[in-house]
Amino acid sequence: MTATTTVEDVVGQPLGVYTRPRGGNGWRDWITTVDHKKIGILYGVAALFFFVVGGIEALLIRLQLATPNGTVLGADMYNQVFTMHGVTMIFLAAMPLSAAFANYLIPLQIGARDVALPRLNALSFWVFLAGGIVLNLSWVLGGAPDGGWFGYAPNTGIVFSPSPGMDFYALGLQMTGIASLVSSINLTVTILNMRAPGMTLFRMPVFTWMILVTQLLLVFAMPVIAVALFLLAFSRLFGARFFDPSVGGDALLWQHLFWIFGHPEVYILILPSFGIISEVIPTFSRKPIFGYPFMVFSGIAIGFMGWGVWAHHMFVSGIGPISVAAFSLSTMFIAVPTGVKILNWMATMWGGRIKFSAPMLFAVGVVSMFTIGGLSGVTHAISPADTQQTDTYYIVAHFHYVIFGGIIFGLFAGLYFWWPKVFGHQLSDLIGKVNFWVMLVGFNLTFGPMHVLGLQGMARRIDSYSPGFGFEFWNMVSTIGSFLIALSIAIFVVNVIRSAMKAKGQPPCGPDPWDARSLEWLTPNPTPVHDFDEIPVVESLDEFWHRKYGTDENGRVVRVASAEEVCQDGSAVGVHLPSPSFWPIVFAAGLPFIALGLIFNLWLTVPGGLLVVMAIYAWVFEPVDDPDAAHGDVSEVADTTEEAPVV
Amino acid sequence: MIRKYLRTRGPTAVGLGVLTFLTGCAADAELDTLNPQGPSARSIDNLFDPVFYVAVVVFIFVFAGTFIIWWRFRDDHDDEEFPHQFHGDTRLELAWTIVPTLILVVISVFTLITLRGLNETEANAVTIEVGGTATQWEPEVVVVGQQWWWEFRYYLNGLDGVDLTDARHLPPADIVTANQMVIPAGEEIELSVTSRDVIHSFWIPALNGKKDAAPGRVHPWKLEADEPGVYFGQCTEFCGLSHSRMRMQVVAVTLDDFAAWVAEQLQPAAEPQAAAAQRGMEIYQSQCARCHVIDGFNDNDGADLVANAAPNLTHLMSRTTYAGGIFNMYEPDGSLDRTQLEAWLRNSPAEKPAYAEGRRGMPAMGLDEGQIDDVVAYLTTLGRAPSLDVIAATEVE
Repeated sequence: MTATTTVEDVVGQPLGVYTRPRGGNGWRDWITTVDHKKIGILYGVAALFFFVVGGIEALLIRLQLATPNGTVLGADMYNQVFTMHGVTMIFLAAMPLSAAFANYLIPLQIGARDVALPRLNALSFWVFLAGGIVLNLSWVLGGAPDGGWFGYAPNTGIVFSPSPGMDFYALGLQMTGIASLVSSINLTVTILNMRAPGMTLFRMPVFTWMILVTQLLLVFAMPVIAVALFLLAFSRLFGARFFDPSVGGDALLWQHLFWIFGHPEVYILILPSFGIISEVIPTFSRKPIFGYPFMVFSGIAIGFMGWGVWAHHMFVSGIGPISVAAFSLSTMFIAVPTGVKILNWMATMWGGRIKFSAPMLFAVGVVSMFTIGGLSGVTHAISPADTQQTDTYYIVAHFHYVIFGGIIFGLFAGLYFWWPKVFGHQLSDLIGKVNFWVMLVGFNLTFGPMHVLGLQGMARRIDSYSPGFGFEFWNMVSTIGSFLIALSIAIFVVNVIRSAMKAKGQPPCGPDPWDARSLEWLTPNPTPVHDFDEIPVVESLDEFWHRKYGTDENGRVVRVASAEEVCQDGSAVGVHLPSPSFWPIVFAAGLPFIALGLIFNLWLTVPGGLLVVMAIYAWVFEPVDDPDAAHGDVSEVADTTEEAPVV
Repeated sequence: MIRKYLRTRGPTAVGLGVLTFLTGCAADAELDTLNPQGPSARSIDNLFDPVFYVAVVVFIFVFAGTFIIWWRFRDDHDDEEFPHQFHGDTRLELAWTIVPTLILVVISVFTLITLRGLNETEANAVTIEVGGTATQWEPEVVVVGQQWWWEFRYYLNGLDGVDLTDARHLPPADIVTANQMVIPAGEEIELSVTSRDVIHSFWIPALNGKKDAAPGRVHPWKLEADEPGVYFGQCTEFCGLSHSRMRMQVVAVTLDDFAAWVAEQLQPAAEPQAAAAQRGMEIYQSQCARCHVIDGFNDNDGADLVANAAPNLTHLMSRTTYAGGIFNMYEPDGSLDRTQLEAWLRNSPAEKPAYAEGRRGMPAMGLDEGQIDDVVAYLTTLGRAPSLDVIAATEVE
C-alpha cells in the first residue's frame, strides 16, 4: 500500500484510464473484486465446475472399462480422457476447492479484513481459471494431453506425443502453478502478519495451521514443477532434449522433478481437508480438539517428512537398492504423524455428545476412509511389495481412498459446514445425509474392488483388458459404483438449488447454526463485506466458543452468552477496504494468448505479452482507492483507515 | 430396525463379504500377484501377507472405534448438557506415536531383508550346446521394450564386454526372440532390462515384481520359475497408444527342453522350397525386410522405425503369440490361425492401434490377397511349431 501511495503522491491526479472500478454487485464487481470472500466463492464455483468435468471424464473411463475389450472410447481418446481426469481433478478441482476454503476462511479465522495482498489474490484466481481454460481448450484445438497426469518423459516428447496436447499440459499447468505460487505467498504472509490482537500462533484454529503448512509446501513445491514444465515445454516447442538419453539427457530427470513436486502435492491436497475436519469434529462432538499441539505438530511433521518420500513413486524405475531402502523407510514412518491425527480425531469424538449432522458424517467418512488409504499405503511403502503393486489398480484404489476418501469427503464436510457462513442459509441436513450415504456406498463400490483388481494383476492406464484374467466382475461393480457417486453429486446439486430457493425471501439463518468454536462465526451469516465490525481481541483457542460458554463452580460447562449476543451484527460503517481492480483479470487474460501463441503461432504472443505488460503497469500506477473506498456508509469519510493490526 | 438387523445378521453379512472377496481372487487370474510361482515372488508375498494382516488389524481397530463412538456417544436428544471437556493426554499421545513406530520398525527390518534378497544374484549355470560344443551358460536374458512389444536377447557367451547402453544399436545376439521368453525352470535368470524408446515396465507377477525398462539405462533384475509352465505378464508403465496391448509370457521348460530350444533357435532360416513360399520370400525382401530380420536371409542394420527394431522373424512359428503377445498364432488344435494372421498382414493398424505414419508400429503394407497368401506361406516355413501343450498353455483371449 505504501508503495502505491508514494506513486500517487508523485503523479498527483491519477490518469483517467487508471480509475479504479467501484464496488457493486453486478458482474463487473465479480471480475474486478479483490474481496477474499468473493474470490473464495469464485474459486469454489470454478472448482466444482471442473470437478463435474473431471467426474464426467471418470464416468467415461469407467464405461470403457466396464466390460472386457471396451469400445466406448478408442485407445487414443482413452489416453486423453484418463490424463485429463487426473489433471482436472488434482489441479482444477481439489487444489482450487481447498483454495476456496482458504481464501474465504483464513482472514475470518485469524480476525483480519482481507488477505495481505488483495489484488494478488484476485490475480491467483484469474490465472488459475485461465490455466484451466487453456488445458481444456486442448479438446478442441488438436487433442488433449495424452501422456498421463504424471507425464513421464520421453513418452511426452514430440516424437511420441505429436498432438499439441502435451504442450497444453506444459503451459496450462504452468499457469495454474503460477496461480498457486502467488496464492501461497499471499496466504503465508496473511497468516503470519495479519492476525488479530491476541491471536498467537498457538491460538490459531487447526484449519489455519494446516493451510499455513500447505502454503509453505506450495511455496517450495511449485517452483520444482515449474522447472519440470519449462524443460518439457522447451523440449517440445524449441527442440531441447533434456530427457533424451541419446544426446546425454536423462529419462529419469523428469520423474525426480515431477515427484519432488508430486509427493508434497499429496500433502498439499490432504492437509486442508485435515484442517476442515479438525474444525468440524470438535464442533459436533461438543468438545475441544484432542491434543491440539499434537495435531499442529503432526501436521508440521507431515509437511517436513513429505519432502523425503518422493522416490516411493519410483521403486521400480531403476533407482538403486540403497535409494529404494531409504525411501521405503521414510515412507513407512510418515504413517506415524498421520496415524496420530486419526487417533486424535477419534479421541476428540470419544466421550463427546455427537450430533451426526451432514458435515459430521462427511468428517467421520474422512477418518474411516482415509484410514483405509493410509493402511494400503503402508502395504506398498514396503518396497518389495510395491514392485508387485505399483502401476496396478491396487495403487488406483489406494490413492482414491486418500484423495476421494480423504480429500473430497473432507471438502464436502467443509461445504456443508460453512455453507451458512457463505450464503446465509443452511443446506438441507436430511438431503445432506442422503448425499453422504449415497456417496459413501458409491465410493466404496467404485474403489474397493480396485484393490482386488490390482492384486489380481490389472495394470493401470490400460484402455482395455482381455477376458480371462478374472477382471470382469469387479470392473462392472466399480462402474456401477461410479454412477452412484455421480448420483450423490446430483443430490448435492439438488440440495444447493432447493436450499437456495427455500431461502429466497427468508431472513438469513442465525449467526451460529452449529454452535461453532472459531472466530469466523463471530461475524453474521452471510459474512458482511467488511468481515468484522471491529477487529476482535483474542484471548484463547476456540475464542468464539469461549465467549459463549464458561464453567460453573463444579467445572461444568454453562452458557454465559447467547450467540446473538456474542456475534457482531455487521452494521459497521465507513470501514476502509481494499479497492477493486481491473488489472488482475487483464493480466490473466494475456496468458492464454501467450500459451496459444507458443503452441500455434508465435505472433499471438504479442497481444498476450502486451496485455500482461499493460496490466502490470496499470497495476502499479492505478490510484490507491476507488471512488467510494469506505463501505457501509458512503457518506462517511474514509480517512479512519483501519489497517488490520499486526501481532 | 437397521441396528437390530446388524446386531443379528452382522457376522453373516461380514462373512459373505469376505467370501465374495475371495471368490473374486480365486478366478482364472493369470496375473494374480498373490500366487507366487518362484522364489522372488514368494519372498515378496511372504512380506506382503503379514503386513496386510497387520493393516487389517489396525483397520478393525479404527472401524470398531468409529462404530463404538457412533453407538455410545451419539446425541439423539439435542441435549444441552455438555460432555466432559478434556483437551488431551500427553501419555496417550506418546503411546500412539511410539507403538506404531515400533510396529513399523519391525516391518522395516523384514522389508530390508527382503529387499536385500531381491537384489542378490547367485552364480548358476546350465549346460547348452553352442556350435556343436557343450558350454556352461549362466542364464541371463536382455529384455528390451519398445512400442508395443518386448524383445528377448540371449548372449550365450555371457554379457561381459557386451555394451547395452544404446539399446537402439545392440551388439548382435545369438538368439533374438519376441514376446515369449523361454527359460529353464528352477534356474535363476538374470535380466538386463532396457528400452529403445519410451519407458516400459517388465512384469511377470507370478515370478517377481516389475522393473522399468528405460532408454539409456540398463536395469538388473531376475526371475526364477519353480516349475515348467507359462507365466503371463503385461507392460505396466504407461507407454503410449497400445500400452494395454503390450503383453508377454515367460515359458519355463525343463533343462533338456531348454537345451533343445536353444539348439533350434541357433539355426538360421532355410530357403523355402514351395513356389508360393518363394514368392512370399520375395515380398518379404521388398516390403518386410526394411524393418524385420530373418537370420540367414537379411542382416540387422536397423529398422526404419523410431525404435530401430522390429521383431526378429527367424523362428516366428516357434512362438505362439505375436503383435505384442495379443494374438494367437495357432488354433487350439495346433493348426495355424490363418484368419488372424492374414488380417494382421492386410491392415495391422486396424488390428492393434499404432502410429505407423509416425514410424511406430507396423503399417498396412497394401498387399493384395494373393500376396498375403504367399507371405503366410513363407512365414510358416520360419521355425517349428511348439507342442500342443505349449499352445494350450500360452493361449491368449
